Amino acid sequence: MADVTAPNSAVLVQSNRSSLHKLMQRKSTIAFLMALPLILLIAILVVYPAGYAIWLSMLNKSMSKFVGFGNFEFLFKRQTFWDVVFQSCLFAITAVIFKAMIGFVVAHFVHNIPSKGQRKWRGMLLVPWVIPPAMSTLAWLWLFDPSYSAFNWILAHFGIGPVPWLGEAGWARFAVILVNIWAGAPFFMIMYLAALKSVPDQLYEAAAIDGAAWWQRIWYVTLPMMRNIIAITALFSLIVTFANFDITRVLTSGGPLTATHLFATWAFKVGIESGDIPLGATVSLFMVPILAVAAAFILRDINKRGSEV
Amino acid sequence: MADAAVTAAAPVRPAHYGSMSRDRRWAMRWSYFFLVLFAIFFLTPPLYMLLTSLKTSAEISAATNPWWVFAPTLENYVALLTKNEFLVFFRNSALVSVCVVTVTMVISVLAAFSLARMKFWGSATLATGVFLTYLVPDTLLFIPLFKMFAWFRDLTGIELINHWWTMIILYPTLSVPFATWIMIGYFASIPKELDEAALIDGAGWFQTLTKIFIPVAMPGIIAAMIFSFTVSWAQFLYPLAFTTSSSELLLPVGIVTTLIKGDVFNWGQIMTGALLGAAPPLIIYAFLMDYYVAGLTAGATKG
Amino acid sequence: MGSKVSRRRFVGGTAALSTAMVAAPFVRGAYAAGKISIGFWDHWVPDANKATEALAKEWGEKEKVEVQIDYITSNGNKLLLTTAAESQAKSGHDILAINTWLPARYADQLVPVDDIMADLIKEHGAVNNTVEYLGKINGKWLAIPATAGSQIKGPCSRIDLLKKHANIDIQAMYPAGQAPKADDWNLDTFLKAAEACHKGGNPFGIGLGTTSDNVDTIGAIFHSFGAVMVDAKGEIVIKNDQVRQALEFYKKLMAFLPADVAAWDDASNNKFLVSGQGSMIMNPPSAWAVAKRDAPKVAEQCWTHGFPKGPKGRFAPFLPYFWGTWNFSKNQSAAKSLLRHLSTAAAAEKMCNASGGYDLPSFEKLTTFKVWAEAAPPKGTLYHYPNPHNHQTLSIAAAPAPHKIAEQIYNQGIQTQMAVRYFKGEALEKTLDWASGELEGFMRN
Repeated sequence: MADVTAPNSAVLVQSNRSSLHKLMQRKSTIAFLMALPLILLIAILVVYPAGYAIWLSMLNKSMSKFVGFGNFEFLFKRQTFWDVVFQSCLFAITAVIFKAMIGFVVAHFVHNIPSKGQRKWRGMLLVPWVIPPAMSTLAWLWLFDPSYSAFNWILAHFGIGPVPWLGEAGWARFAVILVNIWAGAPFFMIMYLAALKSVPDQLYEAAAIDGAAWWQRIWYVTLPMMRNIIAITALFSLIVTFANFDITRVLTSGGPLTATHLFATWAFKVGIESGDIPLGATVSLFMVPILAVAAAFILRDINKRGSEV
Repeated sequence: MADAAVTAAAPVRPAHYGSMSRDRRWAMRWSYFFLVLFAIFFLTPPLYMLLTSLKTSAEISAATNPWWVFAPTLENYVALLTKNEFLVFFRNSALVSVCVVTVTMVISVLAAFSLARMKFWGSATLATGVFLTYLVPDTLLFIPLFKMFAWFRDLTGIELINHWWTMIILYPTLSVPFATWIMIGYFASIPKELDEAALIDGAGWFQTLTKIFIPVAMPGIIAAMIFSFTVSWAQFLYPLAFTTSSSELLLPVGIVTTLIKGDVFNWGQIMTGALLGAAPPLIIYAFLMDYYVAGLTAGATKG
Repeated sequence: MGSKVSRRRFVGGTAALSTAMVAAPFVRGAYAAGKISIGFWDHWVPDANKATEALAKEWGEKEKVEVQIDYITSNGNKLLLTTAAESQAKSGHDILAINTWLPARYADQLVPVDDIMADLIKEHGAVNNTVEYLGKINGKWLAIPATAGSQIKGPCSRIDLLKKHANIDIQAMYPAGQAPKADDWNLDTFLKAAEACHKGGNPFGIGLGTTSDNVDTIGAIFHSFGAVMVDAKGEIVIKNDQVRQALEFYKKLMAFLPADVAAWDDASNNKFLVSGQGSMIMNPPSAWAVAKRDAPKVAEQCWTHGFPKGPKGRFAPFLPYFWGTWNFSKNQSAAKSLLRHLSTAAAAEKMCNASGGYDLPSFEKLTTFKVWAEAAPPKGTLYHYPNPHNHQTLSIAAAPAPHKIAEQIYNQGIQTQMAVRYFKGEALEKTLDWASGELEGFMRN
């Protein structure tokens, strides 16, 4: 720190400016000013409305009375709420694990093939992530349609009866998770591919000379080198998946029964469709602590690693 | 194919590990096999979109082989592209995306430079905290935002609801944190000697940023730009909540709300719209993906 | 120029004072009286929007008011979201299509329209109890029943398939141009027909998801058993034999429905009919209209008719839309004038024609337009759609519970959820326990 500021102040002394100007020239002031747009953006459009939402969650249904934690108590007593908690966790964790695995495997395969062909494959495999999810989910919805399902048409040729893709709790959960994996796996792929490229070849050579099998190379070389990026990508995806709205909304709207409701869709159902805005806000608030715990774990891991290196 | 692999591998290591190149050849075959498998999984829905977009609604209702187009027609494309409404969605989306990318880059490059290089009281916390803004989901924020917009209108007379440009204010909350994070990583990877030398030469901080950091970090900047573009092109909830007039809608919401008419899904047009809506990001990725990968490689891995 | 004239005309008396005071600092406000914004329901029947647009424009030209129209889809509950948003932001359209349950939800924010309703009822005859239950809150009319979008969701059957599988001649039961001869059309014959059609490979397409088509159907069947879950006083009375009977009936019926009905939305039944698989669905004539366009062979065999009779009577679901105006609207007097213009008999008939007979005025004297008698193919297919002989009681699910409870029963599809749970093998009493827990949750203030 000190050695960087020294030449800077030397410049200042020469040019003899007013004290306000000096303040403006101080490194930390400039730094703060440069970060100010970011701080303002987050403060005004994220932190403040989030605080507002917390306040909303403490009002009664008609928003005329302060009820403290009344809404939270109310939710804890509802079976549907616990179903939603379970489903959101199931959905997010399963989807992220599969996304991470598929992303890792595909990235590896793409990395394996000659670099000439990589561009083409990378391009094709990235398509699901590039299409706006609201659009691509429509294609899935149409593929799953009970009367016109193109999947069932194929299955019928193998004598497999119509699968109620979105009609039965189990299948519907499968379908929602599948679509999410489909849309999210390419992002993992591209991040992992980026990470794979930064692993120095010498490490593999050394491992190869030591006679390491392919899985040993992955386990002892690739994975440790990619640890940070895996953690960050997983965290980012976990957050986005956990708060997912559009895919579930378009595909099942939470049905059948409430089998595929997630926090976001159920909050929408309760808050907007049933006109209980404070309760809707309470439901969405539950996402924050659960995610915060996950984030704390993952980030702590990264920081520890970062300070070791 | 195998030959290419050997030559590609050749400069790096001596070719006399016979067992290894055999290994590699097998690894290659498996790679291709699985890549084809995954490509099928990844490309089926878009392919089906394309097929459906070429069908007449009578053919769709006929419930024949859904994987084949018996009477291909471009009528869905013609219908959409001559519809004034649809072109307006397209224009709105394009304007919003361009503005959001610009705003995002200005905010995140400035902030990343300050957080990665200059440091001030609380900057370390902020660098970590930025990423945590994603913990607050948009489904939680949109109702309070309504209240804030109403208050803002009463205060200034400027109506923010039901205008497409409001999204230029809102979307950066979704794009800036990730972009800042990529940029912090990228800037951190630039050797310290570089900016110290510049400062000794009498360049100010701002000049150091524009003359040295931005040119060097171009791949990272392009990666962040592509990311912001993808986010702003695809966002769904905010425009769904904040816009209603057909002159103010953005593409994804426009397609979902004007083409889907409850009872009477017009699947040919919906799929056409979805495909056209997906086209701009697809094209951008096709041309700029190398930068994207390169930018992420440098930015993400060091973050 | 024009705006000056209309301002004088519309903004009079105290309204002018308050509007001017609120609006004074804004440039926008100065033109408020010369401009009106409308959010109409985006019609499902192709080209039906043109009627409302023409009517509003015609009024605008006459009154020298600039009319700005948005069509807002109800799909994905976009309209509901818009209404909630406008109510929260206290700004929005001067006239908005208000969904079935919303006059009650936004009672504090809607401008009473008793004066208009009194005139309309005098002119067009009474409205049915369902419309009154939904639109007249605490003795005040808060919105005008809209012609566009209001609908009866009666059965639409395949003439050929019912004949073939169930030996029922639906055209003889509901002859075009005549009163129905449907005394035998009751829940037992209905169930037998469902079984026969299921065996024949063309089951009835009755959804059990939580969207409105599904809820409307089960609501009417609950009514025909006299099954009440929450009474008018807001007491939970769900554990009664009528509810049990209705659930038993649904359990039997569901065995004859497609396997995935629990996930059906408002489009599923339409697609099921248009694809030629289904022999009956419960829907307004939009499915028939699509079939006419995409699958004419199916359309030729469609016949819209009345509901089967249950132990407590014959009930059909009626789902009205309303038009209302916010109390924060800057142009309430203009809005009211336009509402009158949209509610004349001529206007109603225009909307009915444009929507191919889909739209339905809520007033007694307006159910015999030519469009229903003449719609074809087959000729007369829609004759019985508007309930011209007052053959069935028009109802809505969850009535007569207090609105804030009924609305949630309806929106969360508690009845269909109960039916699905019981069908899936849950003990009846357990299902009732679950439902009564949910109902308690709806009592929140």
